[in-house]
Amino acid sequence: MVNPYDKYAIEASVQLKEKFGGKAVGIAMAPPHAADALREVLAMGVDEMVLLSDPKLAGSDTLATSYALSVAIKKVEQRLGSVDLVLCGIESSDSNTGHIGPEVGEWLGVPSVSYVDRILEIKDGYAVVKRLIEGGYAVMKVKLPAVFSIAGTSYQPRIPSLRDVLAARRKQIDVWNADGVGLDPSLVGLVGSPTRVVKMWRIEIRRKGKIFTDSDVDVAIEKLLNELKKDGVPLGV
Amino acid sequence: MPLDFEFTKEQEDIRLTVREFAEKYIAPKAVEFEEKQEVPKEITREMARLGLFGILFPEKYDGLGLDPITAGIVLEEIVRADITFSLAVAYLVHTSWGYVAYKYGSDEFREDIIRKAAKGDIWVGIATTEPGAGSDLVGITTTAKKDVDGYLIFGEKAYISGVREAREKGAWFELGGGHVTLAYTDKTKQHKGMSLFFVPLTDPNITIRLEKEFGRKGWSFGSFVLNNVKVPETYRIGEEGRGFYIAMEGFDHARAYIALACAVGGKRAIELAAEYAKQRRAFGEPVATFQGVQFQLADNWARLEAAHALAYKALWALKMEQEGKIGRFEVTKIAASAKLFAVQAAKAAIDDALRWFGAYGYTEENLVALALKAVKSYDWAEGSLDIMRLIVAREVLGKEYIVRRR
Ligand SMILES: Cc1cc2nc3c(=O)[nH]c(=O)nc-3n(C[C@H](O)[C@H](O)[C@H](O)COP(=O)(O)OP(=O)(O)OC[C@H]3O[C@@H](n4cnc5c(N)ncnc54)[C@H](O)[C@@H]3O)c2cc1C
Repeated sequence: MVNPYDKYAIEASVQLKEKFGGKAVGIAMAPPHAADALREVLAMGVDEMVLLSDPKLAGSDTLATSYALSVAIKKVEQRLGSVDLVLCGIESSDSNTGHIGPEVGEWLGVPSVSYVDRILEIKDGYAVVKRLIEGGYAVMKVKLPAVFSIAGTSYQPRIPSLRDVLAARRKQIDVWNADGVGLDPSLVGLVGSPTRVVKMWRIEIRRKGKIFTDSDVDVAIEKLLNELKKDGVPLGV
Repeated sequence: MPLDFEFTKEQEDIRLTVREFAEKYIAPKAVEFEEKQEVPKEITREMARLGLFGILFPEKYDGLGLDPITAGIVLEEIVRADITFSLAVAYLVHTSWGYVAYKYGSDEFREDIIRKAAKGDIWVGIATTEPGAGSDLVGITTTAKKDVDGYLIFGEKAYISGVREAREKGAWFELGGGHVTLAYTDKTKQHKGMSLFFVPLTDPNITIRLEKEFGRKGWSFGSFVLNNVKVPETYRIGEEGRGFYIAMEGFDHARAYIALACAVGGKRAIELAAEYAKQRRAFGEPVATFQGVQFQLADNWARLEAAHALAYKALWALKMEQEGKIGRFEVTKIAASAKLFAVQAAKAAIDDALRWFGAYGYTEENLVALALKAVKSYDWAEGSLDIMRLIVAREVLGKEYIVRRR
């Protein structure tokens, strides 16, 4: 399955391609069996799909993953010419770190913007983007090339037509391994990953909600404040 | 390894794509189809964009060139999302009769109408039934008279699905639609004097009248009067005098898809009712723990499993026939058996499942209740169950044991 958050980035890339021309190349780092799911990316309109897959990459954390992806991006540049824009999903649906976009930006030495809701304009080597922030949004002008992680709802992923789905089956998915891309073995896999997962557990929420249903709002507020005071919440009054 | 229940990778891709569409755009609206008595036009337009109206047509005519089994996979996903069967009818009638129209239509007809049908710009329906004749097609009175470079058609068709959707241009379909229509070109020859025509319902010499449907209200059902309707010769589907036989072939297609729709719709109804029975408690236990419920569920599920397999066998038979590997009558027998069995299995399963809801089962917002009304239509549509019995008996016993009533 394609990470649902990535679909927004895929949609964004296809819309940009439809507007400005150029080429959209997808890169996924995953075990070989992922190739099947990647056809969906091609069906949505991405021109070429690369699967970066190698047992040496197993156990990579976000640092090692972003390194491997950045090297693969450079390899794409060698083949097809300069990359203007790298788009990624906001996070993965399994680990939800949201690190990859900004880290790829670091490895490539280019600006990165996370939580991009919409790319408003691309002109003269700059992009203007609308970025979600708490309680609103910010509009930013960014020098290209850059890395954007695409958030949320603006780029609703298209459902491809069956004709495109069938055509995607007939397309080639390039599988690249670590040596072929020229990855430094000390920077990938478990050895290249400073993160150690020591233990995993479920967070239990023991608190219980309490609802005050008094028809007189003032009474309800009074009760709420008392309750908070009882729990030692500093109210500043 | 000839017997195989596995689908190809392409078929799995298609299933997942249609499922995504159906879950996102169809399922949330299904109850409304019944309430508003129409399917939102965006849905048929989107189905057209996805290519769902072009499954069987060759790529040469802008179709996808796929087989009946793949068409069945698409139908399954549509039915799972909409057990009011409104979209099942829209899809399966077009798929079956569009294919037959393509198969027997002339090259000009294919270039003109089939290309548009494949893109989903034109919807294709079927019109054999009349106020005075349904099962007994020899009793129809609609006639087509030869005229300069075409035919003039007079008559009335009744209980026809999709008359409104075909009538209105630029609504559910860009160009409206038309019905594959059975008419006499030579009444004296009885069933050997019938011919089939593609009749655009947008023709000004046609008037339509809608029935108030008992169920599957999202897709219209009504009659149309043909008063001197001129169609070009190229709209004749097959040779003069072959209409009855070609219609029989179309019925085989439709019956196979109906069987599949019933099997899948029945299973979906059980799933929905089972979800409720797990939550609903009576006498301190979830309703799903009662053995009376469980045994009903198991018996019905087993029958639907059988119906499901038989429906796919019928679709497989259609594919084999296209490849010249099995004969016409064998297909007819399997398709009639499939419809006969699946409709009854689905009706029984949905009726039982609905009971687990208690009184909530008797409301118009309960999808399973809507499904019960919907499958009831298949007691008749595309051939009544009694006619299915006659066909199976005829094919097993031999024609000489069928009492001729005409
Ligand atoms: C929802 C719905 C949608 C429909 N859509 C279409 C459509 O799109 N196009 C179209 O052309 N038609 C359509 N029909 C009509 C359908 O094809 C007919 O209802 C069907 O063929 C039966 O014909 P009838 O209704 O005239 O019944 P009749 O032929 O009058 O039959 C009445 C009863 O007698 C039984 N019977 C008839 N002959 C025999 C026999 N020889 N032996 C034993 N029993 C017999 C029948 O099974 C039935 O129970 C639709 C019907 C419904 C309910």
